[in-house]
Amino acid sequence: MFKNMYNWIDERLDITPMWRDIADHEVPEHVNPAHHFSAFVYCFGGLTFFITVIQILSGMFLTMYYVPDIINAYYSVDYLQHQVAFGAIVRGMHHWGASLVIVMMFLHTLRVFFTGSYKAPREMNWVVGMLIFFVMLGLGFTGYLLPWDNKAYYATKVGLEIAGSVPFLGDYIKELMNGGTIVGAQTLTRFFAIHVFFLPGVLLALLAGHFFMIRKQGISGPL
Amino acid sequence: MDHNEQQETTHKPVKRKEMSRRQFLSYTLGGAGAFMAGGAILPMIRFAVDPILQKKEKGAFVKAIEESKVTSEPQQVDFKVHQVDGWYESDPKMQAWITKDEKGNIFALSPVCKHLGCTIGWSGEEAPNLYHCPCHGARYNKEGKNLKVAPKPLDEYQVKRENGWVYLGPLEPNTRV
Amino acid sequence: MAHKHDPNEKIVFIGDSRVRKKDHSNVVPPDYTAFPGKSEAFIPNFLLKEWMVGVVVLVGFLTLVIAEPAPLGYPADPLNSAFIPMPDWYFLFLYQLLKYPYASGDYIVLGILGLSGLPFISLLLAPFLDTGKERRFYRRPIASSLMLVSLVAVAYLTWVSWNHYEHELEINGQIPEHIEREIKAREAIEKGLPRPVPGREKIAAMVAADDPAFTETMTKAQCIACHGAELEGANGPTLRGIGDVLSKEELVETITNGKANGNMPAFKDNLSTEEIDKIATWLSKQKAEAK
Repeated sequence: MFKNMYNWIDERLDITPMWRDIADHEVPEHVNPAHHFSAFVYCFGGLTFFITVIQILSGMFLTMYYVPDIINAYYSVDYLQHQVAFGAIVRGMHHWGASLVIVMMFLHTLRVFFTGSYKAPREMNWVVGMLIFFVMLGLGFTGYLLPWDNKAYYATKVGLEIAGSVPFLGDYIKELMNGGTIVGAQTLTRFFAIHVFFLPGVLLALLAGHFFMIRKQGISGPL
Repeated sequence: MDHNEQQETTHKPVKRKEMSRRQFLSYTLGGAGAFMAGGAILPMIRFAVDPILQKKEKGAFVKAIEESKVTSEPQQVDFKVHQVDGWYESDPKMQAWITKDEKGNIFALSPVCKHLGCTIGWSGEEAPNLYHCPCHGARYNKEGKNLKVAPKPLDEYQVKRENGWVYLGPLEPNTRV
Repeated sequence: MAHKHDPNEKIVFIGDSRVRKKDHSNVVPPDYTAFPGKSEAFIPNFLLKEWMVGVVVLVGFLTLVIAEPAPLGYPADPLNSAFIPMPDWYFLFLYQLLKYPYASGDYIVLGILGLSGLPFISLLLAPFLDTGKERRFYRRPIASSLMLVSLVAVAYLTWVSWNHYEHELEINGQIPEHIEREIKAREAIEKGLPRPVPGREKIAAMVAADDPAFTETMTKAQCIACHGAELEGANGPTLRGIGDVLSKEELVETITNGKANGNMPAFKDNLSTEEIDKIATWLSKQKAEAK
């Protein structure tokens, strides 16, 4: 039955070549950890993506309970962590996953750097990758504020002070991110919107570009 | 990978119902994929469906009105219940129409119309000695029996009488009609 | 199609906007025949190995998540002056860097643009700065050594920052809020009390509020000036439920001689011993109802 359904769709949209291209392309030996154990360094990119998927999923589920409001944010986090079944696990996944993504991405970046894989013709992919790195740091920074505990509040205050000391534009950047002159209700909603809609949107677009370029250019050759 | 070679050397020459190498790989791949997806997603699913698995708290009884004040004419009584909704605690106002029947039993009806959830009133000009709903003209008698439009009789609060006071508990379907 | 369909008729798309497959690509084709060794198909052969690594990582990750709950401190309080701000660990190096004299104060521009902005921008543009053909890191000493120096610097700064934080905690005799909170929650649960939610602690009700010890003696002594009209706490701490914290003897001692460097004044000159005893007896009855 599935075969018939597949054929029906394939007849109309010709989807076979699309996934065939992904499924059948050959992967060279030098990135295969089964051939050379040291090739595990080539896994970090894939692992970054894996953890990113976990982040997106756990984040989606967390918003079922979380409210971005300075009165209720803390209590909704407290509630989902302690009163909801598996709440500690889901929040834990999102919290520790954020750190793990940074670690994996850092290792992936180092691998690409030290194997010189960013050289021609893959310059653009490196730039896109670095942009992904910055977006991830942005996600980490905006996500830190959301539980609205002291740690969140003061770390954000310090972060915004740093942003405020950028020459010329600093005060504007700070006020824009604050959504006013203090770190308060409007900062929280702003950070929530950035954390949940804007940056993930940018991230997905960049990831699509990253993968498209890998597929188009292939993995860099052995050293 | 050595296990590929093992796979090939352990191939028996006798043709039996054997998996091809590709099939074996596909199944292992599916298994690993299912494990990863399950390990990550199952806790989240349990997390999401928690509200339907949470123990429902039994509503407490709330002091509403002195017994002596209840008459055979329905009276509107406002009372407050303590409600815990996740992290949000509040004391929403509730309403009840309290009446004493011929046998001296006290019963309290919910003011929520069973048609589409508007709020009913007692004995207006349009419907003397009946409950009337202003939205679509549903009517109920004193016992809460549905006479017009509404599909079901009015809900009833559980009632408890103690030390001369009437206490109201959680709502239940009408037991009188 | 509205007209009669002829099975032999060839369908021709008019204004076909589908992208034609190009036979000749001007990008290096992903063909690895030139590479030594065996290559294998992505699905299922290679992906399986990737996913084995994924499974191991996931198991490790879930173990961490179960063993170590995500931290949550106390609700944000803009007036809390004792709190030591701390960014997430991956920003620590930047946080530390901007503390140094040549990266802060008058030199903040240098700190922000020179010491943090420039390295990030050069990292972003690395392929255009390091344009040689050589890929092996030991054959491109400048790029590699710059990267290694940055790595060491980042690791060092992170370490210094963390050390400093721990040191400050020790000086102030503090423990991080999220740990303190968990300890308190555990203690409450061991005592059979409900799990406390910071900022929403139930204030214990006053016991025997019509006792003359409160209505007369304590009014005379003006306890309520600091402890609140209903002892709910104002400048001084709340006295509701004080009986759980201090014994009668300790209460007598506190009222007689004061506490906390005179923040709680000594009342031995204003009140008689009997009066103090009366108040202490009443206060020791102020216990939160056990639930």
